[in-house]
Amino acid sequence: MKKNRVLAVVAAVAIATSSFVAFAPSASAACSSKLKIAYQGPLTGPEAALGINELNGVKFALKKFLAANKSANVDPVVYEVDDQGDPAVAGPIAPKVAAEECVVALVGPAYSGASKVSLPVYLSAGLPIITPSATNPTLPTFGKSIFHRAVLTDDYQGPALARLVTSKVKNAKVFLVNDASDYAVGLQKTVDITLAGRVVGKDVTPTGTTDFTATIAKIKKSKATAVIYSGYFSQAAVFVKQLRDSGSKIVFASGDGTLDNQFIKLARKAAEGVLLSAPAIPMETASPKLAAEMVKAGWTPGVYTTESYDAANFFLEAIKAGNTDRASINKYVSTQSSKGLSKVLKFDADGEVSGADVNGFVVKNGKLVLLGAIKA
Amino acid sequence: MDFALLHDAFWGLTFDGIALGAIYALISLGYTLVYGVLRLINFAHSEVFMIGTFAALVAASGIMGVKVEDDPRTGVSMILTLIVCLVVAMLASAITAVLVEIVAYRRLRQRGATKLATLISAIGVSISLVELFRIITDSLPREFPRIMEKTFLFSYAGADVRNDKVIVIIAAGLMMFALERFITKTRLGKGIRAVSMDENTSTLMGVNINRVITVTFFAGGLMAGAAAFFYILVYENTSFKVGFFLGISAFTAAVLGGIGNLKGALFGGFALGLMETWTSAVFGTAWKAVISFIILVLVLLIKPTGLFGESIQQARV
Repeated sequence: MKKNRVLAVVAAVAIATSSFVAFAPSASAACSSKLKIAYQGPLTGPEAALGINELNGVKFALKKFLAANKSANVDPVVYEVDDQGDPAVAGPIAPKVAAEECVVALVGPAYSGASKVSLPVYLSAGLPIITPSATNPTLPTFGKSIFHRAVLTDDYQGPALARLVTSKVKNAKVFLVNDASDYAVGLQKTVDITLAGRVVGKDVTPTGTTDFTATIAKIKKSKATAVIYSGYFSQAAVFVKQLRDSGSKIVFASGDGTLDNQFIKLARKAAEGVLLSAPAIPMETASPKLAAEMVKAGWTPGVYTTESYDAANFFLEAIKAGNTDRASINKYVSTQSSKGLSKVLKFDADGEVSGADVNGFVVKNGKLVLLGAIKA
Repeated sequence: MDFALLHDAFWGLTFDGIALGAIYALISLGYTLVYGVLRLINFAHSEVFMIGTFAALVAASGIMGVKVEDDPRTGVSMILTLIVCLVVAMLASAITAVLVEIVAYRRLRQRGATKLATLISAIGVSISLVELFRIITDSLPREFPRIMEKTFLFSYAGADVRNDKVIVIIAAGLMMFALERFITKTRLGKGIRAVSMDENTSTLMGVNINRVITVTFFAGGLMAGAAAFFYILVYENTSFKVGFFLGISAFTAAVLGGIGNLKGALFGGFALGLMETWTSAVFGTAWKAVISFIILVLVLLIKPTGLFGESIQQARV
């Protein structure tokens, strides 16, 4: 019995070591078959909707690219990495992705927390990434040379959201509500600083809140003329519906967490006139033609689909220009530029996109209408 | 802390709190019925509720052909739609509850498994149902069409009294009354009470235990289904995780009132609904669960059996 146990331990250690060796990242590994584009983000779990939006953008870009370049040495199937948007899940997966020698580029990770644990692994493996949606400002320090970001960070969005509201509402008196998530708290902080004296009240409605009675009573008592909600679309829809059903007609505004056609679908008439900000642009607005083509191909575009489509296209352009390994693709995206649907992708030394805007939107007749870049 | 708000908007908050409490009370009846008979917390009950919300959704769009973009219905068509959705939700929840009992509890019970094994089985069923609905719905929330135009009936002391919430309060009251009559007046109801007093003796007296248990789950499911319909009528959306938070609140309500006691569940439901609404106003919405649980703990410290009796400490768990 004891002997068996020793054997088992030895075997376990042997397996662990060998798998470690197998997964050890290597920058110089050569790929003997077709090159693969990877996508990393939440594809299952409660956050899956966002990841699927992004994956669809990558799939669509790849499909269009291969239709136009039939002889390209690129695998038609996207290499899917499901991190559930969770750092604890991303940690063990990242080394496996890095060890796949044919994965030469990665769109993602979608979330900032998962990015923080994945980026150092990709850095040591030399795997270039372009994230379409991770907006935490500190990420370049984790990914260094392989890090690129196709959107502006939260440092830009909060102030822009505040300015969007003050430009639409004269002498705005603003009530702030957030859902207690990392994203929402961070976003609200910058909104709060920008609005300074205009904030007349605040409330926190943690994720899962379904009854907003007390919050609405507070808003009414504060005599606010606008409410800015930081959080995600599903709860924003419930909130705005209850606000309108209570008879209140004040301006409702929110950030990119709410910028999703699902929000309009859930809130219906209550969504009319809602102001939204995002460093992203919906596919339907950026190019109605491509959006229709995408729907026809069986994929529904959502928030960050356009940015993912752009990111994938940048990598595919690099491959088309004759770059077939991680190092040369990284050099290409770091130094060249790509004319995307959302913006021209041109990264600075930190991998941040320059010359990009935070866009303002309004919901009109059940559709998201682009108001244009929010001015400084 | 904002006591001024509670003072200014007291009647409005109270009215909304009662409507929320009615939904809690209906769900907590299911917990308390099953506990009364089996001395078991049916952790899958929150999913019985969740399935009720989806059944109401299917009834509205599938059976009555209401589309989300439609204008609210009026007259006979509206009343018919409301009734069909309510009945379908109640039946779907009741059947789910009975199936859960057959799949997760019956065999374990007949084999003499410990209460802990049954408890784990209940949690397992709950997780499976949540994941099943997560997959079916693609992790996305679903919207419920507006069947009835929401209008303010009247205003009293600054409180706007809205039609849908009035319907919820009245209908929930009727349901509870019917359940109470059923338990106290009918043969089956007497069976339920007999089993909850003493299982072995009632078997000796010729009570069919399995039948009583099935009826108990069915009745609890009916109430959860009604709660599901009222919830979706007022809040107009649902998702795979809707049962989780409401389930915890309803369970708390049952314990607050004294689990195993029908009156306790009713009172606990209304008390919790009011407490949550009032404390959200005074301390902020983020604090409502904290304050509600502090009050629960204080109540149990002073009166361990809950407000209306049947101690969870003395229970045979």
